Amino acid sequence: MLTIDALKQLGCNTDEGLSRCMGNEAFYFKLIGRVVDDKNFQALEDAVAAKNFDAAFEAAHSLKGVLGNLALTPIYEPVYELTELLREKKDIDYSEYLKTISEKRSELAGLLV
Amino acid sequence: MKRSTDLYVDGKRNILVADDEMINRELLNNILCDEYDVLMAEDGEMAYDVIKKNRNTLSLILLDLMMPKLNGLDLLSRLKEDPDLKGIPVIVLTSDQASEVESLVRGAADFIPKPYPQPDVIRARISRSIELAEDRQIISATERDELTGLYSYDYFSRYAEQFDKYHPNSDMDALCLDVNHFHIVNERFGMAKGDEILRKIAGCLLTVFSSSDSVICRKNADTFLVYCTHRDDYTLITDKVSEVCCDMPTSVKLRIGVYSSCDKKLDVRARFDRAKITADLIRNNYSVFISTFDETLMENELFADQLVDEFPKALAEKQFKVFFQPKFNIEGDKPVLSSAEALVRWFHPTLGMISPGKFIPLFEEDGLISQLDEYIWRCAAETIADWKMRLGISVPVSVNLSRAEMYDPALVDTFEKITSETGTTAKDIYLEITESAYVRDGDQIVDRVKELRDHGFFIEMDDFGSGYSSLNMISELPIDALKLDMMFIRNAFDKQNDTRMISIVIDIADYLGVPVIAEGVETEEQYLALKKLGCTIIQGYYFSKPVPAEEFEKFLLEKDA
Repeated sequence: MLTIDALKQLGCNTDEGLSRCMGNEAFYFKLIGRVVDDKNFQALEDAVAAKNFDAAFEAAHSLKGVLGNLALTPIYEPVYELTELLREKKDIDYSEYLKTISEKRSELAGLLV
Repeated sequence: MKRSTDLYVDGKRNILVADDEMINRELLNNILCDEYDVLMAEDGEMAYDVIKKNRNTLSLILLDLMMPKLNGLDLLSRLKEDPDLKGIPVIVLTSDQASEVESLVRGAADFIPKPYPQPDVIRARISRSIELAEDRQIISATERDELTGLYSYDYFSRYAEQFDKYHPNSDMDALCLDVNHFHIVNERFGMAKGDEILRKIAGCLLTVFSSSDSVICRKNADTFLVYCTHRDDYTLITDKVSEVCCDMPTSVKLRIGVYSSCDKKLDVRARFDRAKITADLIRNNYSVFISTFDETLMENELFADQLVDEFPKALAEKQFKVFFQPKFNIEGDKPVLSSAEALVRWFHPTLGMISPGKFIPLFEEDGLISQLDEYIWRCAAETIADWKMRLGISVPVSVNLSRAEMYDPALVDTFEKITSETGTTAKDIYLEITESAYVRDGDQIVDRVKELRDHGFFIEMDDFGSGYSSLNMISELPIDALKLDMMFIRNAFDKQNDTRMISIVIDIADYLGVPVIAEGVETEEQYLALKKLGCTIIQGYYFSKPVPAEEFEKFLLEKDA
């Protein structure tokens, strides 16, 4: 179940996230529910696979902004690092990052059911 | 572009949030919606459209830099190049330090980093940027009217409000001053003379009112506004202005509308609206130069607006009823029913019966009268047809035409259509055309009347004696009856019992070979006197007030018997 405690256990900075939601827990949870389904996760994977670094950067950058605002630290951190690498258009193996992101996203999604 | 703090007294300022991420938009909306009206855009092009559409009311833009279609930096450049839009402050939302500098260079007022700082910080930055932008606006707006040196209207409102703030207990008057027929001054003597007069008036106002107890502006053209502590009498001003303008080629008379001891709960603009309404009341009056607002005036204005607004509904719902007032031929021993006049009544669902004296002049002014008249003509024709069918008897019914309708080239067609559709004829419908209609554009009106007459309609000249027809032209007028203006009857019998004017009109009618109809006949004395003078037909309360069609049937049945 999605609770503040569960989010904290995952390593999310819920104090920060909640304060951006003016302390409204329901509103916070609603937005978290939305970000888990964000189409940019898929867009990021597809663009990396196609070595389209511009598109990959855009997707990562968008995710970074939203995840950062909701203070979903465990996903935010790998997305942040990935974004900086993609900004440089580094042609490296991104699979470890994508794997971590996917795992953390699944953990978060697990709380929603 | 006008954006002043006055606009926001009652409402929230508009803010645009332009970000392609819905979650970011929702977060900001949630933070800002208590204090602002938040508009949203999800890409750069959409943001640009919203900005253009709301350019006069948008107080600030929160702009994400990475957006589809048109990115934030390009949008920012586009805004700063547009003189209409560049004054709207933009705060950039960004997570990259490099972009922060770039945004500021391109004209952003500030930036807010991502992830967002505390809501308090966001709100403080927004409110500060708005404040700075509005102050800049105030400094760049013109404070003075170039021609007269008085305040411009924008400043005037602001200073009037400040005056209230610092003198909360002062009893204040709002004055609206116009020059009578100023456009003619410009026309006759040229703009330069007109401007000179305006400057003289301004100078005069500045000597009469001191800056410590008044605020003065020229609103536009020849309209001046003065907000000042209460005075009982303003004749000093009209006199003084006429005096300082005595060397001008024409006499200059100010007209002043005074809203005395303003209700300060009204905003400044509403106070001066009242002063203006009041000034307009004496627009064409050459003997009264100062008029003071009272509440009934406002009520009348509002009432008039309401009637005009509700007209279409009233017409559709048949709230208008046609009443019939009998006219009797009094030539013989006994009065005999000769015809009737159709008169409209408005049965309003909440206001009750409204007198035609209240709504006809309004509808004449608003051009609604032709719809109403056509409705009345048709009702009258239908009623005649109904009497004929059910009772086998009818009398001609006269209907009223307004001056404006006399210019309608399709007027004859309209009447022919009504008669053919209702199964009546031109002989059933008499047309009452007021004398004053003939006076202006006489030839055109006379041609139209001839046309109606050629189609068989019987023409009664209504209100005869009130319209100053020249006696010379009367003999050429195409008319079938003269209807005496009610004032003749009133004057003849009210005061010194002088019926000589009536005799003269009857002589004129005799000369033209048409009957005289007297309306407004209320007493037996009047009836007998008119009969003796040779009046042919009489209408009035002495016989009957206007009655509904069903009630009128008794007159028809009496006549038949």
